Amino acid sequence: MIVTKSWLNNFIDLGKVSNEKLYETLNSIGLEVDSIKTYSIPEKIVVGRILSCEKHPDADKLNVCQIDIGSGTRQIVCGAKNVVDAEYVAVATIGAKLGEDFEIKHAKLRGVDSEGMVCSASELGLPDLGNGIMILDKSIGKLVVGRDLNKYEKLSDTVIEIELTANRGDCLSVHGVARDLSAALNISMNNFEYESQNPEKIGLARVAKLIVKGKIDASVQYAMANMEELHTSLLFSLRLAFIEELQNDALHNILKYITHTTGVILRAYDVSHIDLENNEKLTINLESKDGIVNVTINDKLYSTIGINHVEKKKANEKSLKVLFETSYMNPVVLSDLVAEHKLETDELYYNTSRGSEPNLCFGINYLTYLFEHYNQCKLFDGTISLDEDYEEKIITVSTTKVSQIIGNDIKKINIMTILNDLGFKVQSTAEDKFGVTVPSYRHDIENIQDITEEIVRMIGINNIQAKALEFKESQPMNPTMHKYYAKKALRHHAIASGFDESISYAFADKLLLAKYNFPLVDEELDIINPITADFNTLRTTTLINLIQAVERNVNYSKKRVALFEIGTIFNEKREQKEVLSIIYSGQSETEYVANAGKPKPITFDIFVKKLSAIIGNFELRASNQENLLINPYQSADIIINNEICGFLTKVHPNVSEDFDIPDTFVAEIDFEALIPEHINAHPISNFQGVYKDLSLVVDKHLPYSHISQSIKLLDLPLLNKFYAVDVYEDEKLGEEKSLTIRLFIQSLEETLHDKDIDATVNTILEKLANEYGAKLR
Amino acid sequence: MKKLEEQIKDASSLDALGKVRIELFGKKGVLSGEFAKLKDVPGPEKKAFAEGLNKKKAHLQAIYDACYETLKQEEIERILKAEAIDVSLYNNLNEKGALHPVMATMDKIIDYFVALNFSIEDGPKVEDDFHNFEALNLPKNHPARDMQDTFFFKDKAVLRTHTSPVQIRTMLAQKPPIRMIAPGAVFRKDYDITHTPMFHQVEGLVVGETGEVSFANLKSIMSDFLHYMFGEVEVRFRPSFFPFTEPSAEVDISCIFCEAKGCRICSHTGWLEVLGCGIVDENVFNAVNYKNVSGYAFGLGVERFAMLLHKIPDLRMLFEGDTRLLEQFR
Repeated sequence: MIVTKSWLNNFIDLGKVSNEKLYETLNSIGLEVDSIKTYSIPEKIVVGRILSCEKHPDADKLNVCQIDIGSGTRQIVCGAKNVVDAEYVAVATIGAKLGEDFEIKHAKLRGVDSEGMVCSASELGLPDLGNGIMILDKSIGKLVVGRDLNKYEKLSDTVIEIELTANRGDCLSVHGVARDLSAALNISMNNFEYESQNPEKIGLARVAKLIVKGKIDASVQYAMANMEELHTSLLFSLRLAFIEELQNDALHNILKYITHTTGVILRAYDVSHIDLENNEKLTINLESKDGIVNVTINDKLYSTIGINHVEKKKANEKSLKVLFETSYMNPVVLSDLVAEHKLETDELYYNTSRGSEPNLCFGINYLTYLFEHYNQCKLFDGTISLDEDYEEKIITVSTTKVSQIIGNDIKKINIMTILNDLGFKVQSTAEDKFGVTVPSYRHDIENIQDITEEIVRMIGINNIQAKALEFKESQPMNPTMHKYYAKKALRHHAIASGFDESISYAFADKLLLAKYNFPLVDEELDIINPITADFNTLRTTTLINLIQAVERNVNYSKKRVALFEIGTIFNEKREQKEVLSIIYSGQSETEYVANAGKPKPITFDIFVKKLSAIIGNFELRASNQENLLINPYQSADIIINNEICGFLTKVHPNVSEDFDIPDTFVAEIDFEALIPEHINAHPISNFQGVYKDLSLVVDKHLPYSHISQSIKLLDLPLLNKFYAVDVYEDEKLGEEKSLTIRLFIQSLEETLHDKDIDATVNTILEKLANEYGAKLR
Repeated sequence: MKKLEEQIKDASSLDALGKVRIELFGKKGVLSGEFAKLKDVPGPEKKAFAEGLNKKKAHLQAIYDACYETLKQEEIERILKAEAIDVSLYNNLNEKGALHPVMATMDKIIDYFVALNFSIEDGPKVEDDFHNFEALNLPKNHPARDMQDTFFFKDKAVLRTHTSPVQIRTMLAQKPPIRMIAPGAVFRKDYDITHTPMFHQVEGLVVGETGEVSFANLKSIMSDFLHYMFGEVEVRFRPSFFPFTEPSAEVDISCIFCEAKGCRICSHTGWLEVLGCGIVDENVFNAVNYKNVSGYAFGLGVERFAMLLHKIPDLRMLFEGDTRLLEQFR
């Protein structure tokens, strides 16, 4: 919503209010100022009166004007076409500065002396008003030849852009903003009142009638005029240019100007074709269907109240007879209708759906005033209208309740005064509670909290005393909090291991997910309005995002990228879960002297050790993952507490090639599996233990996990721990390999005897011989 | 004697000294030879001879020990020198990673509220219309829904446009009093220099008995919180509109880039808008069937806080795993 200070002055005298005060006040009453800009016309620009205007002897497109600038007559050459229509113009005299390095000097244009320049609006720093020079008229004030143009307040105006919240339809007009300011600044409103001075002799009721069918929840008012040539004054042009509504059609301009000034929705229809002289009449039909109010005139559809109009019926500045329609409909009803019936809306719907001005007479009277003062158009006598049965909204206000909500004691008299200033009708009582009638233009006020907001706005939040809340202690720890702290710890482990935390969008490109054989969210559960093709579905893995992050970093010449993310992914059924994802790409270390600037590439071993430093112990088993990032020979399922909770892999060379990235390792693990569990300590043995190495010859393709699983299942009491320490393959061994397992044998109860050690070793050997044909080397 | 002394002193290395030691003090060394002569010395002179010899030996031993010590130190020094390192070659090895500035900012925000006994709550990212809109006093067709460009799914579910549905979920699951924050990712269909389709919010809600929780309380905690986050700044409240709170306010801090003089970042206003808050609307309490309660709620964008706190120039960069940015936070 854009207003200007001089425009507001139509309704409220802001003469004594500085721009700073205005800015502060608007902000403090909830009309957030987006921008505030004062236009100032440079010095030495004066009102000039063109005495004569002749064609330049040597240039077709130039005119030589004699212009009275008060202090004398100046000859000025002007290139604008419209100078021939002008009487009063803005003249930049010698010495005037238009911009930093543009000073007006004596000039000779094709041999003719020129002492100054006739200016266009944009040359003066004002908005562009169309082609040619700016023609001055009395709409900006009395034109005095020679007077400095920067003395005209309506030209050197302050333009304020307000970011209006969705509830404040009442401030979608200059009048509405003035009304709010009036209450806040305690300056009274000049309410606009006007009665037609010189109407057409024919009354509108004689040539038009209104027929109503069904219950109409709307108000409408019609007026009609015989049109004469319309003219958009300089002031209107300028103000419409400020609000970016200036067009080449003078009727359009007048309608926009009135709606922006008064807030009343005003439309105009061409009814020139109706032959009034031969007693043809206008029959205006209002018909409600499911609450939608259609207006037909002589059986043709013209408009749908509050929603739309028929473009072809719209009047323009050339129309001879125009029917004007003002209307109001409750915005809540309107927006439901539009959504339910999927109706098309016109540009005024923005206003009607937020609440336009219900006082329709205001709009018609303003129109009458403009027609009679600035144009020759004549309105038919009177209007025809339908007024909605408007039920007044009365709210009971309790002083105590208002004080409670605000948290400061607010005096009843203050509340009453504020509400009164805001146009509420206050019923005076001696009680704590009193009734107020909500003005019809405040459809957003429904209850005591809304009323309190009005009080808060007008008192100013900065005048409310802050008070700390006292509260009873309670135990705030819950599973979400535990999870947060677990996540925080994990994040700190990851950064301690050299990984940077990354955040990527929870979206993915369906094609990419499919290309690498990741699941897709079921078609019937997918997003219908994605923002771009790259983000056209929910991601089912974070790894593609991370690989893309590596790709970008490689493009920035990064040789080593280590990232992690704890993020949300979704499954086919769109159920969410959080995963820890890790990507490690390129060099295994920074380049420095110890590696002579040539760090080794990351290997499986290095990656697994990093991962272990972050998440602790886990087991790895050959992976059954189906996604195509998997490298079949260097990938694994990650097992914690005997459950598969994720996977890791060296990224398949095909994928590295697709993204043009170096050797890269990734892991994706369910976050839930990484939340630390409660730990009970095991008993610790005080007796000496012994290490025994078993070198076994087994099938070359037998994974160690099978062997370890078998040993575990034996559940041997003396076997404290065991782990693989060496694998050896050579030609001699052929399809077999030698695997060395180190056993640590220890008893909780006694010093070991050789026979106990042998028994343990033999049990293992026997089992492995039976199951895998393992033999001692 | 002098000659022997010279011999010790002339040894230039521990090895050479070792040889001298054997020559002098060894079983077949010079001193042993001298002592062997003892048997040939006549009885009365024996004692004096032996004393003289022992003295001589002690003297030589002392010289030897001193030389040994010197050579030993020289040797250590030589080894140390050989192992000398230019330590400055080991500066800034980048072995530690960095927390993401948005997540670190979120941690900082959470720390504040947890210290004030707020609990942390969470909810799903895919929400239904009731939790995301309806229960928050955003009925269907309400123009305020336009404030939030929503991602919709084919089955009418939505990606949550704010963390506010967590308020509703928490109130439905628990009884008052409530004192919670809900940090997390939210989604809006907006993508330009100042908007990303996903960003993070922290939502807060406090509910007590009727008349217990007031706007003055809200003002108090918000001011304190913003001072905790941004230090010595001025805090300004402006009335605003959110469907789920009434009265509502937007809160600004004095611009930390230009000290409120006016710059590009504060659009020359001297103020930066940082959060929204208000008294919980009665309609929200009605939606969760809470009776006789009062409460306040607030919400803020974590990316905005992070960008202001760390003067990060580009929002979109935050979502690209860009190590040029991240490594600055190591």
